[in-house]
Amino acid sequence: MTEVLAERSFRGLAEAEAIESVHDELDGLWNDAPFVEAMDQMTFTTAVIESASNIVQHALPAEAQRPVELGVDISVRSTLLQARVSAFYAKPPLGQLEPGTPDEDSESGRGLALIEALVTTVTFERQDGTNIWILSKSPQA
Amino acid sequence: MEFSYEVKDSYAEVKADGRLNMVSAPKLREFVTDVIAGGSSRIVVNLENTAFMDSSGLGALIGCLKAARQAGGDLRIAAVQPQVKMVLELTSMDRVLNAYASADEAFGND
Repeated sequence: MTEVLAERSFRGLAEAEAIESVHDELDGLWNDAPFVEAMDQMTFTTAVIESASNIVQHALPAEAQRPVELGVDISVRSTLLQARVSAFYAKPPLGQLEPGTPDEDSESGRGLALIEALVTTVTFERQDGTNIWILSKSPQA
Repeated sequence: MEFSYEVKDSYAEVKADGRLNMVSAPKLREFVTDVIAGGSSRIVVNLENTAFMDSSGLGALIGCLKAARQAGGDLRIAAVQPQVKMVLELTSMDRVLNAYASADEAFGND
């Protein structure tokens, strides 16, 4: 695999304010990697924020005493943008991992479909009590 | 994100500056609900300075649209930036939330 040209990480409690921190890391990443096309920056940022927001909104703690933590690790290679979006100390996801098809007037349920439309592949892993979504996007040539 | 509003002749213009995400989405709902309660049910949300919107933000706009219509009015959006346009198109919600070039044009023909 080609060399990592820029990378950023975030780890903290899975609460709403964490989303702003993740977004700041993404802004910093694109400052470090201005060669990534604006369209790729825009689509990848949206997918990462959607995934992180999904964890904040839906991940349930595996143990009552230990809150879920959000982890985001993003790397830029010349041929690949990748983000590992993790829910630490979380139960396995209960709900469906398949995108829904909400009605026009529904106010939620569009996030997963949006993520799939924005990146090249989305994979899910569960390792050592951590739910991990891996978002990959091949940048525009 | 910062919110402000201004009552014009035939509508109220709400400005939402910053990132419309899961942090700010509930605040937008609350803000627009208050504007509607204040007597303005024709709302234009000016997105000129909304650099980012996710599905939470989109959900809030849909909620505000429903609230405006329930009050006998409507909600329209204006000055949509590229990322917001992309989210509207990918979710096909550009068919529900009518986008206008400027706030003035949104209710221009009504």
